[in-house]
Amino acid sequence: MDPRVTADLRYSCEVERPGMLHAAFVRSPHPHARVVAVDTSAVPGDAVVMVPADVAHLGRYGCQVKDQRVLADVARHVGDVVAAVAAPTREAARSAARLVDVAYEQLPAVLDPLDAVARGAPLIHPQAAASARDAVSIDVRPIAGTNVCHRFRIRHGDVARGFADADVVVEEVFRTAAAAHAPMEPHAAVAEWRDGRLVLWSGTQTPFNTRADLAGLFGLPEQDIRVIAPPMGGSFGAKTFVRLEALVACLARRAGRPVKAVLDRGEEFVTLNRHPAVVRVRIGARSGGTLVAKEVDCWADTGAYADCGPGVATKMGYAGVGPYRIPHVRVDSLAVYTNLPPGGAFRGYGATQSVWASERTMDLLAGELGISPLELRRRNVLRDGDTFATGEVMRDVHFEECLQAAADAVGYEADPRGKGLCVLLKGMQTPSRAEIAVERTPVGYVVRSASCEMGQDVRQSIRLMAAQMLGCEPGQVEVPDPDTDRSPFDTRTTSSRSTYMMGRALAEAVRDMGDGERGHGEVRNEGGLDPDTGQGVASTHWHQGAAAAHVSLDLETGRTTVEHLHASVYAGRVVNRPGAELQNEGSMLMGLGTALFEGIEFADGQVTNANLSDYNVPAAGDVPRLTHDLVERDGADVHGLGETALPPVPPAIGNALASLGAHVTELPITPERVLEAL
Amino acid sequence: MNVELILNGRAATLDVRTDEMLLEALRREGLRSVRETCAIGVCGACTVLLDGEPVSGCLTLAATVAGREVTTVEGLDEADPVLRAFNEAHAFQCGWCTPGFVLTVKAMRPGDDVRAALGGNLCRCGCYVKIEQAVRACAS
Repeated sequence: MDPRVTADLRYSCEVERPGMLHAAFVRSPHPHARVVAVDTSAVPGDAVVMVPADVAHLGRYGCQVKDQRVLADVARHVGDVVAAVAAPTREAARSAARLVDVAYEQLPAVLDPLDAVARGAPLIHPQAAASARDAVSIDVRPIAGTNVCHRFRIRHGDVARGFADADVVVEEVFRTAAAAHAPMEPHAAVAEWRDGRLVLWSGTQTPFNTRADLAGLFGLPEQDIRVIAPPMGGSFGAKTFVRLEALVACLARRAGRPVKAVLDRGEEFVTLNRHPAVVRVRIGARSGGTLVAKEVDCWADTGAYADCGPGVATKMGYAGVGPYRIPHVRVDSLAVYTNLPPGGAFRGYGATQSVWASERTMDLLAGELGISPLELRRRNVLRDGDTFATGEVMRDVHFEECLQAAADAVGYEADPRGKGLCVLLKGMQTPSRAEIAVERTPVGYVVRSASCEMGQDVRQSIRLMAAQMLGCEPGQVEVPDPDTDRSPFDTRTTSSRSTYMMGRALAEAVRDMGDGERGHGEVRNEGGLDPDTGQGVASTHWHQGAAAAHVSLDLETGRTTVEHLHASVYAGRVVNRPGAELQNEGSMLMGLGTALFEGIEFADGQVTNANLSDYNVPAAGDVPRLTHDLVERDGADVHGLGETALPPVPPAIGNALASLGAHVTELPITPERVLEAL
Repeated sequence: MNVELILNGRAATLDVRTDEMLLEALRREGLRSVRETCAIGVCGACTVLLDGEPVSGCLTLAATVAGREVTTVEGLDEADPVLRAFNEAHAFQCGWCTPGFVLTVKAMRPGDDVRAALGGNLCRCGCYVKIEQAVRACAS
């Protein structure tokens, strides 16, 4: 029986080390404030305490921009950690943390990305500089003297000429709220120093990126840091890059003992969220429905620290073009600092926000043209051999098929009232590298990879693929937890890349092993986009999907009821069918939450719904009739499925509501917003 | 204080503080299926059966279970029909919330509204379709 059912699986937060202390953090109550003095005199003698001056010499870390200190000397968001303690129990650590007295000098705060880019806005990182040891290998383009930490642009064709040729032009601005990943298991990490080497147990999707960033921070060779990644109780992007690892490492070094940190639920809401975003779309078409020009402007609010906001802004930018042939395209997508908690990776990775804007605009355009939204999309979707706005020639694309399957599932063509559609393209991490090692044992095989388990069942996918390639039973394949000392390199477990990349690397490893004892396989996907022109290779492999929604609307209360939700996702080949179905269903339900009720609320930078009662995630009673297709092709590549079905859900629901007369531009689509729109 | 109870079918004594919640006391006993998650009784990940009824361990004072029967997933054997139904339906992803759902389903009675009965358990991975399949399999 699966150990998850019998509660025999041990999660990251359950790691214990002999003699370990427990950490607690002192967090800023202000969105922007300089730490003037920290009085720790009331902290009991058996607690270790750490203040900003103790770690200032370490400098800064950050996966795309080195802009974060271990402890903030200037707090840049409510919840920024300004001091930390470690004590023999979690309760003692929390009590001690409450006795730390911090004096602040408040600074002007900016809480909206449009305010943050306005002239005269307070600068949140006056000395921000692009990371020299860029763990994510994206070319960051900060704009000096502003709060913009990255600007991504696409320049394709000549938009002025394109709009001059258009018979109809529509333009609209859309917003998406901050969202909480809300993994059931909170962030957790344990650090231990052994003879100058740092050993970390961390619930993370990014063991090698974390190792690289910490090596820079501590001035250690990467080999002197070991990151072990036990299974996570959910992550959805939350447990990426350096989160608690630097804090527990510093506390452990100071204490001379292992230190463990586990966040409480409220702390989760100020640790990493989905980027709130503003997206403006302008699109032009000929009267027959041929798209001729599109402009997309995105302001991704990355909060107090860049984290991977530059990467999110880039993907937000090109996903906002949509899977369409458009001869003239301009995109300007900005990652903008504000004094909100940091935004980072979140299932959908920027596509959710821009696809919401782009696909709602398609229906507005269809309305102006007097063409069915389905027909407008069919006339313009990318087909094999077409060129995308990045200059890439598209291969193995199935957008029309996914779209048609979604439309058919809800009976769109028979009666489109109360129904809405969305089609999307989403890239996979490019460039990236995956390595895997296989070893023969007396009873079967050990397969080592750094693909991290967070519920997506990546270990089962590896077991199934290995069993097929090796001619054994899946149960004979052991897949240990990722460990940077023992697992070969992998870029990270993100962007739905593991089954595709690791599967190909595994085939290499099995070939390499032959009749021998061990084999090693490596796969790289090369590419990347020029951040100033958006030309190059966005993705070597496209995630493709569509969704359709059928809704009813209570005109008195503004309440939306989703009657039926369908997603069609291109799978290529399915490796683990129940796992694939669960990924689709889970993505659709997270999309439903984003569409209708999930949003972090702020008052003066303070989260006002930082718990699972006031911040609603979908429950059993919220589940509509939920159906989906996994589109397959004989001999096709495996396509990742971890998130493709999330971004198309909010626009499908929004377009369904628009067909009933409620044109809502802001997520989540609350009853209040529906009533305002009617 | 000492609290005597029947824990997973056996007489047991828990040494607890008067202000301590059952969740904390059970985890100290090594019962890892009971999981601190929301801390306010809305997510169901610390669900235990108290005299057969599901309660949130994070909201139940440990002292109040004296003389009563407490069941966690560790107290079920692998032949348990609800465990088997969850396993066969693949009704889990990360598995964090699964024990709470299993216990809630164990307490369901024929004719219960499935969605209402599951309302006190959250699954962020979104496995509800397969959880409902598991419940239907148990019912038949």
